[in-house]
Amino acid sequence: MNESIIRTYYENLAAGLLVGKKCRACNCITFPPTALCEKCGKPDLDDVTLSGEGEVLFISHSMAPPPNPRFNDLAPYAYGHVRLAEGVFVQGIIADVSVEPVEMAALYERCPLPVRARILTVEDLSILAFDLV
Amino acid sequence: MVSRLKEPVFILGVGCTRFGNLLETPEIKGLTLQELAARAAAEAFADAAIEPNEIDAVIVGNVTMQTSNMPATYSQIAKWVGAQLKAGVHIDGACSTTNIGVTLGAMGIASGVYRKVLIVGLESTLSQPKKLSPYERVSIPTEEMWLWTDACVNQAYSVPQGYDIFPTYNGFIAQAYCRKYGVSIEDFDKGMFELCRTRRLHGSMNTKAILQQTLEDEAAGYGFSDPFEFWVSAYNPFLAWPSRLRSVVSAADGASAVILSSAEGIDPNGPMPVEVKGWGVTVSDLPWYGDDPTYMEYDRISFDKAYAMSGIQPADIDYLHVHDCSHISSICTAELSGYLPEGRGLSLARDGSLRFDGSRPMSTHGGRHAFGHAWAASAGADTYEAVKQIRGLCGARQIPKAPHTAVVHTHGYAMVSTVMVYEGR
Repeated sequence: MNESIIRTYYENLAAGLLVGKKCRACNCITFPPTALCEKCGKPDLDDVTLSGEGEVLFISHSMAPPPNPRFNDLAPYAYGHVRLAEGVFVQGIIADVSVEPVEMAALYERCPLPVRARILTVEDLSILAFDLV
Repeated sequence: MVSRLKEPVFILGVGCTRFGNLLETPEIKGLTLQELAARAAAEAFADAAIEPNEIDAVIVGNVTMQTSNMPATYSQIAKWVGAQLKAGVHIDGACSTTNIGVTLGAMGIASGVYRKVLIVGLESTLSQPKKLSPYERVSIPTEEMWLWTDACVNQAYSVPQGYDIFPTYNGFIAQAYCRKYGVSIEDFDKGMFELCRTRRLHGSMNTKAILQQTLEDEAAGYGFSDPFEFWVSAYNPFLAWPSRLRSVVSAADGASAVILSSAEGIDPNGPMPVEVKGWGVTVSDLPWYGDDPTYMEYDRISFDKAYAMSGIQPADIDYLHVHDCSHISSICTAELSGYLPEGRGLSLARDGSLRFDGSRPMSTHGGRHAFGHAWAASAGADTYEAVKQIRGLCGARQIPKAPHTAVVHTHGYAMVSTVMVYEGR
């Protein structure tokens, strides 16, 4: 069986690792990873493990009930726009944060805030989320 | 890259059904999607004053197969729009579909392969076939509709890890806009209120809009004499703080149609042709932005391409529609286009400048909130409004001085950024 880049990404998350691809031609980091460099399309890529450290620039919240039934037990949840230390932008669930408007307003005033990756298991799938630190 | 049409291409006719609910809205209640498409096409043929057999090709767009149950949409719809035995194809550019169809049709004409092309978009976002019935439909829950619609978004990583359109396309952009321009959350809320009021005013003057009630009348119906008190009430909750329910899309069912022609296909005694001067199309997967969620690079590229192809500048634009599933995103896009000055969009909304009779008229059909949004059909509805405004046929919501140059931008989920430039004569 061929190795699936997508499957490997989630299996790495399950092991606590954030693994992307770094292009030998242009040094662009593609995270989560794709088969070709997302910037220049070249195929020569090396695995690169990210620190999981970063800053959340903005925090808002999801709708409920959620479109994706995987999140039925979590929604509504806080959701953030995150710049990882390596300069990559991702969006993900911000764990253990209230979505009440007063809390959202307070976080807006405080952001950007440091975050650290936290792997959540949601219906048997390991996903990338973040903790405020 | 050279991007110029080798021959001029014109819109001869446009058609559009009322946007609404196939299960409820009187003008379309009980229709099937085939019949909906036929109505839009028939209006376009009448508007163009041509016979269906003059068409050389038909391009049919539909996004949500779960609600149409017609993945080979072109071959099934051709029979319903008088285009049997013609060339054609089914396309899906998500919410940009019909205008992507205009670009493909225009290229077919400018290359000399076709002389006239019909583009049709059809969509139901509110119901699906009841079991395998050919005509009975049942409503679908909102979250089911979004699940199917989100199939257009990054399925490898984003959707499985909690992606939600409302924070990504509304909440983050709203917060970034406020921070970038020093707008308080309270003033943001007032600006969004006024923008919604304008869109709803436009919808109230458009018999094809899904919402034809002004915001003031809706507030009064809930017992509020002050519509802003209604705006901040529990009847208008935060969908993604600080963006509220009435600052976003109203999902709808509907169909639209556009007929393109070469110059030699124009009847000098027929309706005013509207020239397709140029366009820009750019795609981007998530993330749609980096440090600044108010700035989407792919939109910058699309506008630049469209302006270069058509030879216009932002100052030439007389009417603008930008994709407004998210009202705050639409303000950012309008500012990026150069039609509105940076950081001024909300204040212009508050002083009425964005109304049909204001100095910067936008989205006079009501936009995605008041006119409604039927994914594959909506870009065609935007083009329909631009053509009618250019021709001076919009009645009560007509821009006082009919626009000469209209620009229509759409975000096809997610994302196909499409900018069209149309000019009257």
